[in-house]
Amino acid sequence: MQTEKRSRLIVLEIVAFALAILILIPFFMILVNSFKDIRESALFGLGLPSAWKLSNYRDVFEQANILRGFKNSVMISASVVVCVNLFASMAAFVIQRRDDKFLRGAFYMFIVGLIVPVSIVPTIKLMSDLHIKGTYFSLVMYYTAVLLPFAIFMLVGFMKSIPRELDEAALMEGSSYFRLYVQMILPLLITVLVTVTIVVLVSVWNDFFGPFYLMTDSTKWTLVLQVFNFVTLYSTNWGVVFAFMVMVVAPVLIIYLFLQRFIIDGLTAGSLKG
Amino acid sequence: MKGSKYPLYFAFPALAVFLLFFITPTVIGFYYSFTDWNINADTISFNGLDNYRALFQEPRLLTAFKNTLIFAAAVTVFQNVLGLGLALILNEALKAKNFLRMIFFMPYVISPIVIGYIFRAIYHPSNGIINQALNSVGLGFMAQDWLNDPKFALFSIIVTDLWRVTGFSMVVYLAGLQFISKDLIESSSMDGAHYWQRFRFIVFPLLAASLTVNVLLAMINSMKIFEMVMVLTDGGPGYTTEVFFTYIRNMFSTGQFGYATAVNLMLFVLVTLIGVPVLMGLKKREMEY
Repeated sequence: MQTEKRSRLIVLEIVAFALAILILIPFFMILVNSFKDIRESALFGLGLPSAWKLSNYRDVFEQANILRGFKNSVMISASVVVCVNLFASMAAFVIQRRDDKFLRGAFYMFIVGLIVPVSIVPTIKLMSDLHIKGTYFSLVMYYTAVLLPFAIFMLVGFMKSIPRELDEAALMEGSSYFRLYVQMILPLLITVLVTVTIVVLVSVWNDFFGPFYLMTDSTKWTLVLQVFNFVTLYSTNWGVVFAFMVMVVAPVLIIYLFLQRFIIDGLTAGSLKG
Repeated sequence: MKGSKYPLYFAFPALAVFLLFFITPTVIGFYYSFTDWNINADTISFNGLDNYRALFQEPRLLTAFKNTLIFAAAVTVFQNVLGLGLALILNEALKAKNFLRMIFFMPYVISPIVIGYIFRAIYHPSNGIINQALNSVGLGFMAQDWLNDPKFALFSIIVTDLWRVTGFSMVVYLAGLQFISKDLIESSSMDGAHYWQRFRFIVFPLLAASLTVNVLLAMINSMKIFEMVMVLTDGGPGYTTEVFFTYIRNMFSTGQFGYATAVNLMLFVLVTLIGVPVLMGLKKREMEY
């Protein structure tokens, strides 16, 4: 019985590792090819480079304004993280606690936003009517509006598990609603806020749709838009293209490797409460 | 009312941003879809149902409609089957389970546009690793021009998206599995239930909430697919992989703004008509268990 169970586990382990290799091969492919010269990289092979070319990475730095794209991506993502976390947690706090007709209606409106696809052409028109088209502000507001429904959905679900007695005790002691929110509620929401932050970061960092339509000025492009443009221009030299991709993917993967515990636990805790 | 002292204005920033930057364009989009708004016109004027009449006679849109549905159905089904399978395997006492979970979720944090480019190389007809691998094991007759052959193009995009999203479903199912008590599983195997019976009658029903989340998200997100299709095939060959958002982008870039907005509204209708009944059905099912 014991050995039967153990051999079953070994078989499962082998199956799982085989599948994991399928996930890893594409990552490996861009990594090795990013060190190959123009002719070798065009073969897209999995073999190691015959001569390691670090110059691909230098070329990316010289041609691609990668630092500017990096700065834009960081700035935009960080602003959206702050706006979404702040606005959503404030809203979720009163939506769940007040539970009146108006806020229940508002909550359903947000849920609809979770399902409905963005109407992109009118969004562009609206931005230009408001004279903010092509600004960082317009892109941050676009992302905030798109990601708020998800954040509110998660946070309202989690608010239910924070006992009202806690509020009552704090209010009894003379705390204001604002202090209650800042000092009691926010700290208790931290696990969900971490999840929201990670999901927002991943969505904004990787998004192409938003800046593609809303950013005409190339100095304000994010990394992903730069990749798109770079491939269109330099697709004759895949070694350089892959080097660019490695540089775009690496920061996300490094952050992921550090935070993956929280991501997986956070999704675990958050996704099923709503 | 019990909670009425909670200050309403706490909800205002979220409401303001959402109303202005999401609801407003959605609503005015409804109006624009009945106009002749385009890049050449100085004024925007109402043209009734013209856009919709044109839209239903456009075979290219019908293709986009069909492809979006096929894509969404295939991704939703396989993402859930594979995600659940992985979750069941990685819920066992495997030594490397944490490491493996980390690997499977990894593609989900990468930009779909970058994944699109990577797979364009992988699917390359002569040099891509898929055909190279098939050739080297003597299965060269199975090698295809994965992205340029109308028979396989949509299939190739589906596989690419599954590579990206299956790990996400796995995590949500793993979450659901954590809530199932070990005692329940043990007592059922004492009673002589086989693995399959245990899965069918105990484990799967208790995963109802995870199933709802996974099916709904998979469906909604796959109907909105854009970047990956654009990079892999851009709707081609011909229009065999055209989906709603690639079509909208095309209409937008040719300056047919009113028409593009009407197409966007059709996507809205499609997502709502499919999403809402599925959500209600799944929720009802959750309660029945």
